[in-house]
Amino acid sequence: MRKMNISKLFMFVAILLAAPLLVSAQQGESHIGNLSGNAGAGKQLYYRYCWGCHGFRGDGNGENAQYLNILPRNFVAATFKCRSTPTGTLPTDQDLYNSLVRGFNNSNMPSWITLTDQNRADLVAFIKTFSPRWKTDKAGDVIPVPAEAPLTVQSIKHGQELFQKLECWKCHGPEGRGDGPSASTLTDSNDQPIRPYNFAAGSRFKCGSTNHDLYKIFMTGLDGTPMPSFADVIKPEDAWDLVHYLRTLQVTHKSPELALWLTTKEGQEIVSAQKIYGTPTGSGIKQ
Amino acid sequence: MTVKHVFLAAFATFVAVSVTTAGPGSGTISGKITYEGTPAKPKSIDMSKEPSCAKQHPTPITTETVVTGPGNSLANVVVYISAGAPDEPPPSTSANFDQKGCQYLPHVLAFQVGQELKISNDDQTSHNIHPLAKINREWNKSQPPGTPPIIDKYDKAEMIPVKCNIHPWMHGTFAVLKNSHYSVSSDDGSFKLPNLPPGKYTVTAYQESYGEMTQDVVIAGGETKTISFVFKAKPY
Amino acid sequence: MFTGGSVTATQRLVRIVPSILGLIMFVAIGLADIHPAAAAPILSGARVNAIPAFARKYGMPCSSCHLAWPMLSPFGQAFKDNGYQMGNDRDAPIFQNPAYWPVTFRMTTFFHRENENRAQVDGPAGVSSNEGNYTAHGFDWSGLDFHTGGTLAKNVSFYVLPSSDNTGAFHFETVFARLDNLAGSSWLNLKLGKFELDNLLSEKRILTLTNVSGVYTNYHFQPATESLGPLGAFPGFAFGIGDNQVGMELMGHSKDDRTRYSASILSSNDGSPGLPTSRTYDGFFTVSQAFQVGSLGLQRIGFFDYIGQAPTYFQFTNGSPNDATAGLPGTGIGNKSFYRAGLIGQFYIKKYDLTAMYFHSSDNKYLATGTAADGIAVLPAGARSAIWNGALFESHFTYNPQLILIQRVELVRMSQQALPVVAGSGPFVLGSSTTVPTSDFGNQDVYTFGFRYYPFISSRAGFAYHTEYAFSHQIGTSPVTGRNLDFSSLLVGFDFAF
Repeated sequence: MRKMNISKLFMFVAILLAAPLLVSAQQGESHIGNLSGNAGAGKQLYYRYCWGCHGFRGDGNGENAQYLNILPRNFVAATFKCRSTPTGTLPTDQDLYNSLVRGFNNSNMPSWITLTDQNRADLVAFIKTFSPRWKTDKAGDVIPVPAEAPLTVQSIKHGQELFQKLECWKCHGPEGRGDGPSASTLTDSNDQPIRPYNFAAGSRFKCGSTNHDLYKIFMTGLDGTPMPSFADVIKPEDAWDLVHYLRTLQVTHKSPELALWLTTKEGQEIVSAQKIYGTPTGSGIKQ
Repeated sequence: MTVKHVFLAAFATFVAVSVTTAGPGSGTISGKITYEGTPAKPKSIDMSKEPSCAKQHPTPITTETVVTGPGNSLANVVVYISAGAPDEPPPSTSANFDQKGCQYLPHVLAFQVGQELKISNDDQTSHNIHPLAKINREWNKSQPPGTPPIIDKYDKAEMIPVKCNIHPWMHGTFAVLKNSHYSVSSDDGSFKLPNLPPGKYTVTAYQESYGEMTQDVVIAGGETKTISFVFKAKPY
Repeated sequence: MFTGGSVTATQRLVRIVPSILGLIMFVAIGLADIHPAAAAPILSGARVNAIPAFARKYGMPCSSCHLAWPMLSPFGQAFKDNGYQMGNDRDAPIFQNPAYWPVTFRMTTFFHRENENRAQVDGPAGVSSNEGNYTAHGFDWSGLDFHTGGTLAKNVSFYVLPSSDNTGAFHFETVFARLDNLAGSSWLNLKLGKFELDNLLSEKRILTLTNVSGVYTNYHFQPATESLGPLGAFPGFAFGIGDNQVGMELMGHSKDDRTRYSASILSSNDGSPGLPTSRTYDGFFTVSQAFQVGSLGLQRIGFFDYIGQAPTYFQFTNGSPNDATAGLPGTGIGNKSFYRAGLIGQFYIKKYDLTAMYFHSSDNKYLATGTAADGIAVLPAGARSAIWNGALFESHFTYNPQLILIQRVELVRMSQQALPVVAGSGPFVLGSSTTVPTSDFGNQDVYTFGFRYYPFISSRAGFAYHTEYAFSHQIGTSPVTGRNLDFSSLLVGFDFAF
């Protein structure tokens, strides 16, 4: 132990006193269904569970951020991948809450399903205090997801055409293996290398695992990544066709779409020619 | 239309006219942007992965992060009044940003806060427009060929790098500025900020690789002040 | 330092010294070059290289998995139940930095003061013929725990814990491998080796460290009649439900860990390797369910039951036919049964939490009187099974992840003595055939208070300033005169892991 150092002592005390004040000056709430989250309660949870990665100031610069190859979310920038809202807008409280429930399969962010519903609502309220954007901007208008169109072979084939026409393959590869011509050049908004999703090896997506989630992913885009929004480009009735086709690319995941596709000669040939390698998100590959 | 309305309209016109006559002065700041040192050599872009664009460029185009001209001049430098001039409402014209031959035209687009931004795709391939805003909201939209222009605007002043993730060589800049006193240096490095009323101004020059430089300039009346900015070029 | 007899000036001094030392240490911590979590971003120049294994692997602070280490939070419990996996694709070791070393050391250095009111001492009547009050105090250190664990592959986890006493003599406290999420279901996980029983209140994660309260009294209580019975206890029967046992465990849990069960089959009840005594199998079963109650937090209730058998003599004695306690390893027979059952409730009320447990236990009359069931030894007249009940109330106030206040009360009440009871028959002396126990003989109360302060929270290392006082009072068990036996223990120190 070192000798007592008066200035250090004062700093120590000042930080202890000032830290709660800095944060408690920003109070907020979240609303998820019937739940109301309280930022004050969320703050205590944040400084128990989250700050090691997301940082003391919520800037994604926690003491372990340097070891992570998918960087922790920066709550000060308030750019979020998994949303139900248009690109460039803030997500809804429900979107953030859902991310806490689900976690991110390919990153170090675990599922927080073991916390209580109230805990998660409180955390959502608190992380919204890090960026002034939550005061000036409202969450975007939720992109409506219409009832799922019937699954038919025509629907899958139309989705296949869209996959070509919209040039999804430029990044995701002609067979959806995440190996398109631009795949190796991609970086996220922090200039970190990022891989496009490899459908062939995956069953879950970054923002969920259902058809509904998949619909939202390409309509909203994943802000902060190269994945753009197709909301202005794809008509809602076409979007389900694309969903159905994308499911057939997940040859390791049993889905009704894949089963139907395999009943056609064309589908069978395509699926049996599919090669599977790597992980869904190419994680573990230092690029 | 009632007499009252006519009166109001006339008054409005009068106010508008007097504002416009009082607003712009007759002072001008002009000059030239140059560099010293050795800038990075422009690299030739391989567009072979995008044949529809490659065939538009019989001679391969080069990167535009630093565009130099004769006499060490620097093009594509945004010069603007960063202090001393009041914020101005946006003009009614739109700022146009085209994607043609897998290139951004112009490479640097300067426009005002609140001004309509119109992004078009003239190519036969899909682009995604991904302005990496930090102060404004970051968004990322796909724009396949034949789709209507994307219309947007920005609420805050910011230098925003723009990229297309599908075509990694495509880089550009949105210079969102608070007033109309700006200029993007031409191929010979020259710029001109006309119509300045008398006052003390801070002039900022921004180059996407080299950052920004500032100078304070005092405009007394209808004079033309000539200033120059010399950027230190980095060879990488 | 030992003193006998009445309270002396030295003893008074001894009682003051710890509090002075505690004060000095507390002040020292404040002045030491240790930064609270709050200061980390500003003063992040220093980097500690030794890192608690899981915290570093996942980049999370200790406080994520530990309400206050070593005690787990519900999130940490789920991580453990899932085979030390988060359930994302960062779990398998291949994704880790090659330099990652899954090892954590834990040690404690401290000052402690121990007092026993009636220790067996030499007296005029000979060796160990008298009782005396003694106090010992001074600086000391704990054994070293050498934790290493993680996943060998996806859904194959392991844990090995060589642990030493404070002389450095090592034993294996925990050694197991576990197949996780069999058939893709979190309801099936199979563990094999030596491990802690799936106690909801884990003794290995106890927050108190003194000689009196370093273990849960209820987890180890055995009727005093068996330790010094007519024949002396068989060495294999020193059972504590808090001890690690050797066997196989099937456990399962819901995805959110609200529902948990485990069923174990164990081939020993003393956790020793090499089959030294037993040829029986014991069973342990536990099930619990948690509920969310609004903004209060998770509330959990559960049940557990251990049903076991312990041998009372060796089939083949080892050169001393008349000594039932020495025999050929693995040949213990004359099995007699015992059980430990209980209910547990864990209640969270925001920053306050309470664990309440009720125990009901019994040992067969042979075990409870230390008698070999070999047909030669004779049970004491009127011998019967010992039955007792216990209660435990432990509460914590977690002011924040850095400060936790701890309080615990444990009560043990005999409901049936193994030997016949005559009310008010006076002091009972074990081994004496002329006295009989009173109905409250062996009843025990243990009180504990303390706090742990973690001056910094990180994912690199753990450090706690620990202060604790514990007091135990047991009726009629003083060794010579059969009067009440009291222990007290005070500990002030540093508990650290890296």
